[in-house]
Amino acid sequence: MLDQLLSLFESLMGQTGLAHLYWGNFVMIAVGAGMIYLAVAKKCEPFLLIGIGFACIVVNIPGSDLALPGGLFNYAYKGVSLLIIPPLIFLGVGAITDFGPMIANPKLVLLGAGAHLGIFVALILAKVLGFTLSEAGAIGIIGGADGPMAIFVTMKLAPHLLSPISVAAYSYMALMPVIQPPVMRLLTTKAERNIQMAQLRKVSRLERIIFPLVIAGIVNLFFPPVAPLVTMLMLGNLFREVLLVGRLAETAGGALLNVVTIILTVAIGSTMSAKTFLSLETIEIIGLGLLAFVFGTASGVVLAKIMNLFLKTKINPLIGSAGIASVPIAARVSHIVANKENPKLFLIYHAMGPNLAGVFGTAISGGILLALLGVK
Amino acid sequence: MTPIPDNVHGAILISIIDFVLSFVIISGIGVVLAILPVVNRYWAIDDKDLKGGH
Repeated sequence: MLDQLLSLFESLMGQTGLAHLYWGNFVMIAVGAGMIYLAVAKKCEPFLLIGIGFACIVVNIPGSDLALPGGLFNYAYKGVSLLIIPPLIFLGVGAITDFGPMIANPKLVLLGAGAHLGIFVALILAKVLGFTLSEAGAIGIIGGADGPMAIFVTMKLAPHLLSPISVAAYSYMALMPVIQPPVMRLLTTKAERNIQMAQLRKVSRLERIIFPLVIAGIVNLFFPPVAPLVTMLMLGNLFREVLLVGRLAETAGGALLNVVTIILTVAIGSTMSAKTFLSLETIEIIGLGLLAFVFGTASGVVLAKIMNLFLKTKINPLIGSAGIASVPIAARVSHIVANKENPKLFLIYHAMGPNLAGVFGTAISGGILLALLGVK
Repeated sequence: MTPIPDNVHGAILISIIDFVLSFVIISGIGVVLAILPVVNRYWAIDDKDLKGGH
C-alpha cells in the first residue's frame, strides 16, 4: 500500500515541472526578476523590461508550455519571426515622432552614420571570436541601438541568436544614461560641452508631408531588404503630419503601439530559456554589444568635433552621441549631460536631429549589410 | 557578385564598404533635406485647413 502511494506520488511529481528544475532555471528566473527590478525600482525602460522579464521568468519554470509550439508566447514569437511585429512598432513610432529637428538641420544627419562605428567594431570582433559572418553582422547591428531593426536584421541573418541579441540591444538602450555620459565627457573639453547652439528654423507643414514620401521612396529604391521597417515608420509619420487622420495617428501611436509592444516583449522574453540562453556565446554577444554602444557613442562625438573644424556655426559635440539612434533616449542623454554642465543649455531639440538620423543610419547600415551578404 | 569570404578579412571588408556607403547615402538624404525648403516657394499648406478633417 505504502509502495503504491510512493509510486503514485513519484509519478505525480514526474508530471510537474519540479522534476525538471535545474540551476539554469534559477539563474534565468533571477535575470527576469532583475529586469523587473530595474524597470520598477530604477524606472529603466519599464515598457520593455516588464514584459521581457515576466516572460523570461515564466518560460524558465519547467512545465510551462507557453513558449512551446501551440503556446500563446510561441504565437507572439511567430509574429516577430515572420517580421510582422517590428514594422508595426515602427508604424507606431512614426506616428508619435516629430522629424522637424532632422529636417531643419540637414548637416547633422551625418552624425546618424558617424555614430555607428560600433556596429563594425562589434562585427569584426565577433568574427575574430569565431562567429560566422552572418552571425557577426547580426551581432554588430546591436550597435545600431534600434531594437526593431536589430530584431529584423537578426531574423534575416541569424535567427537562432534572436534572444541574446534582442536582450543585449534593449538592455543597453535602457542603460544608455549610464553607458554614454562617461564616454561623452572623456572625449570633450569643458568649452566644447558649453557650446550654445542657434535656434532651429521652423519647418513648414508641406515639408513635413513631403518628407515621409521622399524617404519611403529612397529607402524602397535603394534598400529593399529593410524597406518594410522604414516604410511603416514613414506611413505612421504621414498619418501624423497630414493632420487629417488624427484617429489613425492616435491608434498607430497609441493602442496599436501598446499592443505590439506587449507582443514583442513577451516574444523576446519567451526566447530566454536557460537551455538556449546560458552559454559562452551569450556572454560574448552581451560583451560585444556593450563595446558596440561605447564605440558608437565615441565615434558620434568625434565626428561632431571634426565637423566643428569646418562649420562656421559650431555645434555642441555632445549631440554627436545621439546619432547612435535609440530615440529619444540618446537625445535625452545628450541634453542631460549638457544641462548638468551648464543649466542654460537646452540641447534636446538639437540632439533629436542626429538621433532621428541615427534610425536611418541603422537602417542603411543594416540594408547594406544584408545586400552584401546576399540576403533578401 | 563575388561572395564576401567568411573570415576576418571579409568582416573588415564588409565593415569598410558599409561604413563608407552609409555616409554616402545619408549625405544624399542630407542633400534632399537641404533642398526641401524650396517647395515652400511654390505651395503653402495652412494647418487650420487640415485640422478641420473629414
